[in-house]
Amino acid sequence: MITGGMGSRILDKGVGTLFLIPALVLLAVLLLGPFFYMVGVSFTDLSFALPGHDGNFVGFDNYRHLMREDPVFWQSFVTTITFVFSVVSVEFVLGFALALLLFYHVQRRRIVLTLLLIPMMLAPVAVGLMWKLMLQGEFGMLTHYLRVIGLLDPRNAPLGNYDLVMPTVMLVDVWEWTPFVTLVVLAGLLSLPREPFEAAVMDGAQPWQVFRDITLPLMRPIIALVLLLRGIDAFKEFDKVFILTGGGPGTATELLSIYTWRVNFRNWDLGYGAVSAFMVYLVVLILCSVFYKAIYWTEGRVAK
Amino acid sequence: MSRTWWRIVALGVLAVVLVIVVTPYLWLIMTSFKSRIDALADAPVWFFTPTFEHYPKVFLDKGYLPLVLNSLIVACTSTGLSLIVGVPAAYVFARHNFLGKEDLFFFFLTTRMAPPVSVVVPMFLLFGFVGLTDTRTAVILAHSTFNLSLVVWMMRGFFADIPREVDEAAQMDGHTRAGMFVRVLLPLAAPGIAATAVLCFILSWNEFLYAFILAAFESRTLTVGIPGLVTPHGTLWGQVAAVAVVATLPIIVFTFLVQRHLVRGLTFGAVKG
Repeated sequence: MITGGMGSRILDKGVGTLFLIPALVLLAVLLLGPFFYMVGVSFTDLSFALPGHDGNFVGFDNYRHLMREDPVFWQSFVTTITFVFSVVSVEFVLGFALALLLFYHVQRRRIVLTLLLIPMMLAPVAVGLMWKLMLQGEFGMLTHYLRVIGLLDPRNAPLGNYDLVMPTVMLVDVWEWTPFVTLVVLAGLLSLPREPFEAAVMDGAQPWQVFRDITLPLMRPIIALVLLLRGIDAFKEFDKVFILTGGGPGTATELLSIYTWRVNFRNWDLGYGAVSAFMVYLVVLILCSVFYKAIYWTEGRVAK
Repeated sequence: MSRTWWRIVALGVLAVVLVIVVTPYLWLIMTSFKSRIDALADAPVWFFTPTFEHYPKVFLDKGYLPLVLNSLIVACTSTGLSLIVGVPAAYVFARHNFLGKEDLFFFFLTTRMAPPVSVVVPMFLLFGFVGLTDTRTAVILAHSTFNLSLVVWMMRGFFADIPREVDEAAQMDGHTRAGMFVRVLLPLAAPGIAATAVLCFILSWNEFLYAFILAAFESRTLTVGIPGLVTPHGTLWGQVAAVAVVATLPIIVFTFLVQRHLVRGLTFGAVKG
């Protein structure tokens, strides 16, 4: 509570409410409203493509169809989960290693950190575009060098081949977000207390033991935070994949977000699309509540 | 192995990493200055005579200049709106206690994390009802959803960093609570506000999906203009690259300005970089 103070408590409370209301109203109108409207639409047959489908109530038909009779949805679900786990684990290992390298072996880090910011601050659409440019089948710079060193069959193009396209898209995501892991982990390493490390060195601990028994346990909150943050973001991935492949070839890279976009804004099947949108929302909300717990864990141990 | 040897390995790895990080972007910039023949050459061309034709062609002849203006207006307005509404709210979260405070704070987090592809579906329909289809207002409002929560999350931390003694001293001087907020705390939080503003601007400027669905024609922003130039055959890569460079270079400059606060902003204030 507010300590001391001459002004009247009632007035203080009034100011607090007054300060809070605009933000709440804005978010209620822009997010809660649409959210409940989406739930409402998910119980209708609303479609802009089919005649006569102008929002009649159909109960749980859309949900039933999505759960039981839509292999494409479930395939994109599996694709998304594969994508999230692959990119987040690779980014985590590489990012952590790079952070350790910077922490132990580089004294003047400023310029390095500045350069590392580039991939994640570029518009994701631009990231997708520049990799599409480098991965073009006929003249792409990277395609060319991959063929020269024999890693890529001359008949294949990274984005056109059904087996190659997903690893390629993952690679672009790793390029974009590994530096983020590095920056967060490095900030975490720099904020750790020195005493446990000094004590361990005095006791003659090997570097590997120090890492396993001191660094890792102390870093646990930061690790949880960065994994969840990246997990949520990777789950929502749209822009890059949209411009790189559009979900193709076939449905090889059709993530849930791309599937949802296609059902709503290509097929204009809005009632059914609302169910898919709702599912994506639900997963993110669950991940969010875990993230919230992690953040308090972090604040207790590191930030303050 | 000796320490020096380790150092050499470390620096070598670091050099390779930095080359990988920087090269794709450099290649994009180079492509925007390449003639069509150089851009489409079988073997990659690293040294070439630059041409400056793509920029005027795409921004003047193809009419992409208004997109820059749209991006600017959307990013600035959404940032301004989020700050005006969000900074006072953040202050309440930092200094007041009330029932359900942390639950409400969690609600702000969920709005920041909300998947655009889900939110944009009902938003598209609702904005259609009120006649906001293909307007900058629609995009501004959509971007304010994530920017407002970012402001609340970041600024709560910045306000919390100001010692409570400052409040007490200000009240001793006879400031009302509102007056103290405006005349004492806001100036103290100014660096934080500036950093938050830049981050909001970047997020809005870079955003694609909301803008793409809500304003695909007259009011489209620069990011929305990029996929339209990529066609299955005969993409004019010099011109797309030029648009992408204009869409990214200002952001890179901005990034360097707020570098210190970036980690904090990107982790919702949980890690102070």
